[in-house]
Amino acid sequence: MVLPPLFIISMETGNAVRRTWKRRWGQRYSYLLFLLPAFVVVIFLTVYPLTRVFYLSFYRYNPIRNIDRFVGFGNYTRLFSDRFFLIGLKNTFLFSVGATMTEVILGLGLALLFNVKFRGRKLLLPLVIFPMMFSTMVICAIWRSMYHYEYGIFNYALRSLGLDPVKWLIDRNLALWSVVLVDIWQWTPMAFLILLAGLQSIPVELYEAARVDGATGVRLFRHITLPLLRNHIFLALLLRSIDTFKIFDKVYALTGGGPGTATETISFYIYREGFRYFNVGRASAAAVVMFFAVGLVSVLYIRQVWRRER
Amino acid sequence: MRKILLTLLFFLCITALALPKEKLVIAGRDGGYGAALQIAVDLFMERNPDVKIELLKLPYKGLYEKLVIDLSAGIGAYDIVMLDDPWATEFMSLGWLASLEELGYTLDPDFVSPALAVCHYPYPDGVLYALPHVGNVELFAYRKDLFEKYGLKSPPETWADILQAVAVISTKEPGVHGVVFRGRKGNPIVTGFLPILWGFGADIVKDGEVVLNSREAVAALKFFLLLKQYAPEGVEIYNSSEVREALLAGDVAVAIEVWPAWVPDLDNPEKSKVVGKVEIIPAPGLVEKSSPMLGTWLLGISSASRNKELALKFLEFVTSAEVQKLLTLQVGHAPTRKSVLTDPEVVAKYRWFPNQLAALEAAVPRPRVLVWSEIEGILGEYLQLALIGELSPEEAIGEATQRIAEVLGG
Repeated sequence: MVLPPLFIISMETGNAVRRTWKRRWGQRYSYLLFLLPAFVVVIFLTVYPLTRVFYLSFYRYNPIRNIDRFVGFGNYTRLFSDRFFLIGLKNTFLFSVGATMTEVILGLGLALLFNVKFRGRKLLLPLVIFPMMFSTMVICAIWRSMYHYEYGIFNYALRSLGLDPVKWLIDRNLALWSVVLVDIWQWTPMAFLILLAGLQSIPVELYEAARVDGATGVRLFRHITLPLLRNHIFLALLLRSIDTFKIFDKVYALTGGGPGTATETISFYIYREGFRYFNVGRASAAAVVMFFAVGLVSVLYIRQVWRRER
Repeated sequence: MRKILLTLLFFLCITALALPKEKLVIAGRDGGYGAALQIAVDLFMERNPDVKIELLKLPYKGLYEKLVIDLSAGIGAYDIVMLDDPWATEFMSLGWLASLEELGYTLDPDFVSPALAVCHYPYPDGVLYALPHVGNVELFAYRKDLFEKYGLKSPPETWADILQAVAVISTKEPGVHGVVFRGRKGNPIVTGFLPILWGFGADIVKDGEVVLNSREAVAALKFFLLLKQYAPEGVEIYNSSEVREALLAGDVAVAIEVWPAWVPDLDNPEKSKVVGKVEIIPAPGLVEKSSPMLGTWLLGISSASRNKELALKFLEFVTSAEVQKLLTLQVGHAPTRKSVLTDPEVVAKYRWFPNQLAALEAAVPRPRVLVWSEIEGILGEYLQLALIGELSPEEAIGEATQRIAEVLGG
């Protein structure tokens, strides 16, 4: 078949247009193609599980017992009338605030110390960050034996000083703080490293200029170090609070949530409901509560950092 | 090039031929249980060179979670599974295990009956889904030397005898606490408390209904709190390792809960300060006769296994009298066969075996309900709240009953 010349021209123009369009589209949107694998991973590993958890939190769902029925806010009302969940919420909050604050303050102290050059600094640095490198289970086994009322090294030391032994993990009012102490021991190095990196990024010229103007120790710290370290402090606070809010392993290994409800936490509650009793709906509702709590804390921190940057 | 390819192909064929034809995967426990099963696995492979067995040694909770996920989805990653007897109702009623009779197994009357009864669903004589592998039963340990020293009734017969004895020893014998048990919340405290609860004539679940809220149960819990006065400081968080340490160090006169696997160390001079001084008996009774708690470990075959005949062959092998005796003599395995528990050579090595057999024969299993693990969790939480004085015994039993009823109600 022979095509009329006009038709051929229009076809060629069409192809050219398509090619240009393709090129433009390729230039403008090709990055989407590169992002696709990451999108897929996020959708499968974050978006899907998250929506599923939200969805399941409105169901009484137990896969083992074949229970699957819609209960609306039933799981939530039950959660907030459950003594174990409420105490878990309170304990998690206390744990998170106590551990995070102490870790960041101690970390700051250590960072200031290590920011000054002194003999043996290179040798001491790895020693200080050592606790972070151990497995938590190993650490807990060791601390558990050190905390032992009768045979533990702490009480041995107290007894040899003529003092009364302490009920580290036994006393209801002390157990949570004994777990906090283990967390502080293990994770202060992380806050320390973040803050040390922050300190080392502050230009020395600033201090020199301030010194020329007559500023000394405390004033240098208040007016130069602290403001410039602010974002790093917030980062350390954010990372440590998210991590401590999830506290599970130490409770599992040190006290099993006891004595009584003294070391019950939300993660422990979720684990028990979800993986031991397979009350997946109830565990999901608790996870949603935790999601919002962590989300709220993160947003507060991030807003602080952004406000400063603007 | 062709030569190289041909040589490679030849070696591939040789390797393929050398590979075992059949493979079994066993999901089992870690620690002593794993060591015992490993001996049996090695022996089986030695006698059956065609077979390759992979034994996974998992911790208690990890094993349960892995089994539930694999069996409920019918994945079939494990051919043989090791299960604690309170999981049996769940596993068997949901069709996760293969019927052994359908595979051609004939019942052996040599197994101690309570241990065999929990292998059936419906309990105690329905379809046979598993074989009893570890004849665990909760035993009771007391310091015979101290009981005799203070003129106390030895062996003690009732819980009232025990309370009197631990009170006397606690006050008179320096450095020795009257009693020790696992007070940690969850499974440990429930396990320690059950023989007392049953001994007082109370129960948790009967015919699918919760019957915990009774005068007897409250009395049993009050008694448990009385005993606690004579326990070491911190018993609220004691688990097996602390109980064992205290017993081996000679720091306690009575342990209301010991397990067969812990007992051999008591007579081992390298580990124990009380060699020959500790007597092992079934837990005492009170209103009811002695009611030791059954803790049998079973071996079953996954419904999704693709190698059921071979799996059955292994099951028969590992539970045979010959292998049980070997494991018992080598690593202190707790047998489930009467013939092994009474074997003169075995009894000569483990002097308490006649008492262990008596305990096993009198043993009571935990309630045969689908949701035992949740009931145990709830009871464990409330028992501990009572133990640390946060709730009164009446409140603890009352609240626990209410929550168990909720769980049973679905």
